Amino acid sequence: MKKALTVLSLALLGSASAANLTVWTHFGGAELAWLRAQADAFKKATGHNIQLVSVPFDQIPDKLIQSAPKGQGPDLVVTLPQDRLGQLAAAGVIDSMDRYVTSRSDLDRTALSAMTYKGKLFGLPMFAESVALIYNKKLVPQAPTTWAQFLSAAQKNTGNGRFGFLMDLSNAYMNYGVISAYGGYVFKNNNGTLNTKDVGLANAGADKAAAFLNDLRYKYNLVPEGVDGGAAKSAFVDGRAAMILTGPWDMGDIKKAGIDYGIAPFPTPPGASGKWSPFVGVQGAMLNAYSKNKAAAAQFAREIVKSDAQVSFNKAGGRIPVSLSARTKLKNDPVVAGFGRTISMGTPMPNVVEMGAVWAPWSNAVAQSVQKPNQNYSQINERAVQEINKNIK
Amino acid sequence: MTLTASPRPRTAAPPDGVRGILLAILILAVLLGSAALIGWLLSGVTARFVPQAPPYLILVYTLGALLLGMPVVARLFPWMVNWYYLVPSLVFLAAFTVLPIVLTVNYAFTNYSGQNSGNPDTGVRTEAVLSADRRTLTLAELPEGASSLAEFLRCRNASCVGDTAILYDEDASTPVRAQIASVQGQSITLTAPVAETFQPASVTRLNRYEYVGLANFREIFGRASSALWPVFVWTVVFAFSTVVINAIAGLILGILLYNKRLKGRNIYRTLLFLPWAIPAVISVQMWKALLNQQFGIVNKTLGLLGIAAVPWLGDPLWAKISVLLVNLWLGFPYMMTATISALATINDDLYEAASIDGASRWQQIQNITLPLLRTSFTPILLSGFAFNFNNFGIIYLLTGGGPPQEGRDATAQSTDILLSWGYNTAFAASGGQNYALASAIALIIFFLTLGISLVNFKAAGVFEEARR
Amino acid sequence: MTTAPRAPHEGNLPPGGYIHREPSFLRRALPWLVLAALVVGFGVLAYFLAQSMQGRQRSFSIYFVEGGWIRFLLFLLAASGVLALTSLIGQRWGQARTGRRISYLAVLGDQLTHLFLILVVLVAIYPLFYVLLAAFDPRNSLFAFPDFENPNILYRSGLLPNLDVLSLENFARLFTGITLPGWQVLLAGLGGAALAAVLLFALAARLGRESAGLVRGRTWAMYLLVGALAALVVFMTPAQFTGPDNESRFVLSVRNTLLVSGLTGVLAILLSTTAGYAMARLRFPGRFQMLLFYIFIQMFPVFLALVAVYALMVLLGLTNTFTGLILAYSGGAIAFNTWIFKGYVESLPESLEEAAMVDGATRWQTFLRVVLPLSGGMLAFIFLNQFIGTYAEFILANVLLTGVEKWTVGVMLLSFTQGQFSTKWGVFAAAATLGALPIVALFYGFQRYFVGGTVAGGVKE
Repeated sequence: MKKALTVLSLALLGSASAANLTVWTHFGGAELAWLRAQADAFKKATGHNIQLVSVPFDQIPDKLIQSAPKGQGPDLVVTLPQDRLGQLAAAGVIDSMDRYVTSRSDLDRTALSAMTYKGKLFGLPMFAESVALIYNKKLVPQAPTTWAQFLSAAQKNTGNGRFGFLMDLSNAYMNYGVISAYGGYVFKNNNGTLNTKDVGLANAGADKAAAFLNDLRYKYNLVPEGVDGGAAKSAFVDGRAAMILTGPWDMGDIKKAGIDYGIAPFPTPPGASGKWSPFVGVQGAMLNAYSKNKAAAAQFAREIVKSDAQVSFNKAGGRIPVSLSARTKLKNDPVVAGFGRTISMGTPMPNVVEMGAVWAPWSNAVAQSVQKPNQNYSQINERAVQEINKNIK
Repeated sequence: MTLTASPRPRTAAPPDGVRGILLAILILAVLLGSAALIGWLLSGVTARFVPQAPPYLILVYTLGALLLGMPVVARLFPWMVNWYYLVPSLVFLAAFTVLPIVLTVNYAFTNYSGQNSGNPDTGVRTEAVLSADRRTLTLAELPEGASSLAEFLRCRNASCVGDTAILYDEDASTPVRAQIASVQGQSITLTAPVAETFQPASVTRLNRYEYVGLANFREIFGRASSALWPVFVWTVVFAFSTVVINAIAGLILGILLYNKRLKGRNIYRTLLFLPWAIPAVISVQMWKALLNQQFGIVNKTLGLLGIAAVPWLGDPLWAKISVLLVNLWLGFPYMMTATISALATINDDLYEAASIDGASRWQQIQNITLPLLRTSFTPILLSGFAFNFNNFGIIYLLTGGGPPQEGRDATAQSTDILLSWGYNTAFAASGGQNYALASAIALIIFFLTLGISLVNFKAAGVFEEARR
Repeated sequence: MTTAPRAPHEGNLPPGGYIHREPSFLRRALPWLVLAALVVGFGVLAYFLAQSMQGRQRSFSIYFVEGGWIRFLLFLLAASGVLALTSLIGQRWGQARTGRRISYLAVLGDQLTHLFLILVVLVAIYPLFYVLLAAFDPRNSLFAFPDFENPNILYRSGLLPNLDVLSLENFARLFTGITLPGWQVLLAGLGGAALAAVLLFALAARLGRESAGLVRGRTWAMYLLVGALAALVVFMTPAQFTGPDNESRFVLSVRNTLLVSGLTGVLAILLSTTAGYAMARLRFPGRFQMLLFYIFIQMFPVFLALVAVYALMVLLGLTNTFTGLILAYSGGAIAFNTWIFKGYVESLPESLEEAAMVDGATRWQTFLRVVLPLSGGMLAFIFLNQFIGTYAEFILANVLLTGVEKWTVGVMLLSFTQGQFSTKWGVFAAAATLGALPIVALFYGFQRYFVGGTVAGGVKE
């Protein structure tokens, strides 16, 4: 009898301490299935119940800002990139995780710094991504290392329903590598601190980069109008495109199609002063500042960035883990190795609050520069920067 | 009331004129207000005893109070019974339309945004130590970028008197607001000691929003050349030309299909009805795929005709054409159906008389059909204009306001109409959740719509019909 | 028609007919002025459009037929020529058969009308057909590359997706992981049978076998259909959907939408009929002003007040619930529905109500027992209009509801085409086909109410 009572009270205790966690995620397909499996395992281990809620990627920040202060938000978001981190912190909806994350030795240093804002860790980094040149080895046997090689390989494969090189030319994120190669930048980086008063998207380098992007379309006749990321991928998967510029998110479909691919950095564009250096996005799990179950939520976040979990996550969707031991285990994986190289060449996206004011005007400027041949790039860029400065104030 | 020896008997007739209206509205307001008050009190009591009680109980209680109060008022003022027919709709309008509108109008004069949302800022949360008397908090350090505590806390004045600091305990999940008495160096003195049960560990500021007067409107009109004017012009051009184009297409098809000799006209009618029957949220997205410059069926067909690939959604001017064409596809069946039903009301004898006179078919259309159609078409055209003036769906789904155009704000691109501009300002990433500015835009749209509708109503005779 | 010789006939026109008056010069010139302005406007527009096409390269992914438009025009010319010939034969033959004079031009006109209408139908309907085909194409064919080597020009140009590969894969993705308990299968079967019965009855009526029994049968089958559907919709739960990704919850989103739209439609009737009746029949000070207030207050662009609506819903604890969404929707169309219903009541003869009142019925009883039973068609229109409007709404739903389990059809479809870096056009096509079906069925089933109601309600908003 006594024993039964003990068991009963223990059971009651267990159920009382078991939290019901809500996790927002933008994962889909195999990655969502992976997260579900992780949640089930977590429940078995700790008794905490996890409810996964699918929210589209681009809606998460806005929905979080709206609903978290009203007590309607999730406990944890899996995952968000760092570029809106500052904005979310200023709106007060995400909380620093320093208390909960004691061991950081397994996590990539760049990734941790991307998730660090005003000296505090606001997200547990999970995976990093940058764009890279994906080439079809059947059509381009050797990765082009110089612009001349690239151009000849691309032009050889262009025509009659085939494409030498495709990418989403009107997307600012995709093109940052080129802009930085010519000397453009978003905010001036002074030894680690970003000067948000100095926006370098309208300097001579940025103008040259815009002209180069326009040339890709209208001078070299490589990237036709109206091609977006989806079209580029489906052309590559079809075997019609020799090279595309894309990120790890498309690798699942490319592998599934059985294309013999290689991954390489984009060559230094003609006349550029520096190397091509793409934006590096780090996505991490973030904690809702208003959550009542922070400890449990952070525990789950720690579980999913562990080495084994990261390896199985990579198997599910092909993302590049930031766990160092997971990277070691995956070092023979061509995707991890290939993107690992471009990530190390890249520039982390700024995570300051002012970044929110940059995206829209900048994207518009990039899209305008490739809308039609021969435009006044400096005027377009100048206007965008004016608007950015006005929005930052 | 009945006990007083008033010589005036209670009448079933309300007082006349403005006085009657005002009195009725006053009575209704008192009735609704007291019902809401009772609901609020009761739900407060319920929440105290049953903490899990859902907050929407206030609606139930209010409704109950209203149902009890209505007969009482009807007894006191028998003529109010007429107004009771309006009560269900009035209650709903008040709760779910008028109340949000009042709040929104209020926002239009503030700097309310995703950041200035009246919530604590977790980005600058700083460790702090509480003194023994539980009234003074000393910060470990001033966060970077702030030169003084007053600046860090964004106080209204340098001494911070009356401002609010946000305290957190170790777990940091529930912000606690505390009134500031004074600030000194790195320590904050509160007006009242912190409760014993609460152990503050860190402090942050409140990103509050405040009244900024007409600043939002000044901003809109100050940047009018890159947002308001071009967007307004396009909105009017779009609403006007889409209605005209749809009406012309509908008229032509309707007149052709009304030809009684035509065999199989019901088949044509049934097929051409289809675009109307498919929800726009589906068909517009479908068109987005079909109009793709490289892969869309439209350009593939044009390629068969030897016409170069048109940048339907990639060029500012062509995108406008695309919006009009897709809206034509969506809207012509309605105009066609309206034409057919209007034609059905025209007396056939007129045509017979005309053909006896030797009038040709074209002359019949010109001199009989069109003038008679004008009566039934005027209201349709006017309401179509008003509808398309705020036709957010097609813009958002087809072009998303884009493609970008030089010299425009990021929230007001080449095909953005007023409403989508407001939406972008408040809810799209390009607008930075500037709810206050969007509210100001909403107010401008409201007055523009109101003005246009007044003219429309005058023309369509709505006022006469309403007064009837 | 020249105007002068018309005068003697004016007296013969029926009362209320068109009386011709001599228009002023300006009035007569107006159409030509408008025409000239239009031509100039189109010219300018065409110039700018042509200019924007300058320097654009030809697409690699589109099959080109040089000078194809000449061939097309020649085809049209040839077709017209053939029609001219067949019209002549038809006219001669008809005259010989009936012995009456038949105008050649009328016959030719009808034939050319057919040609024109067929072209219009092709242009208007082919996109739908194409999307329907794409739904059966597992290769995401809305974005496919044409096969330039194919001998068939329809395949070579990509005008038709390759028919050999068609499969139900896209649909299968929408249905993976759905578990249906036996009673739901039974309900679905019952609903299906009722639908078949309704269609059969409708067919019988079309064939001219209208009878009282038939009408009663159709009504009962209709009740059964609505009842089975309603039970299915109400008792389906998210737990039944165990598929791995968002697509597999499409059926759930349809269920959510039907639930929200249905309740919103019912609420619309409850809220607007009494007000509409009062505005039409009762005379009290403030009636006219209230009507205007209703109309004008709803001109405020409500979804820019979304932040406030959201705050309100938080206050009521109704965020992320269908109740909250339904309440938010219901506030939206009161003015329009009231206006429509008012117009309808005004068209009813007042004598019926007067008779009832003479018999001792109160206003309210008159409204319940005389007016409402007469307004079936109008109520159906208000319900359907609200239902369909709500079905297609996605903005409020997107803001107020979070999580795939709460999504409505519109939000679900948006998520297919606005993914982070990818769009799923194949699944979109399949989902669009299925999602449009209920509304298309409603439209065709209740066409009568629609056409009447919408045209009557022309003066709105």
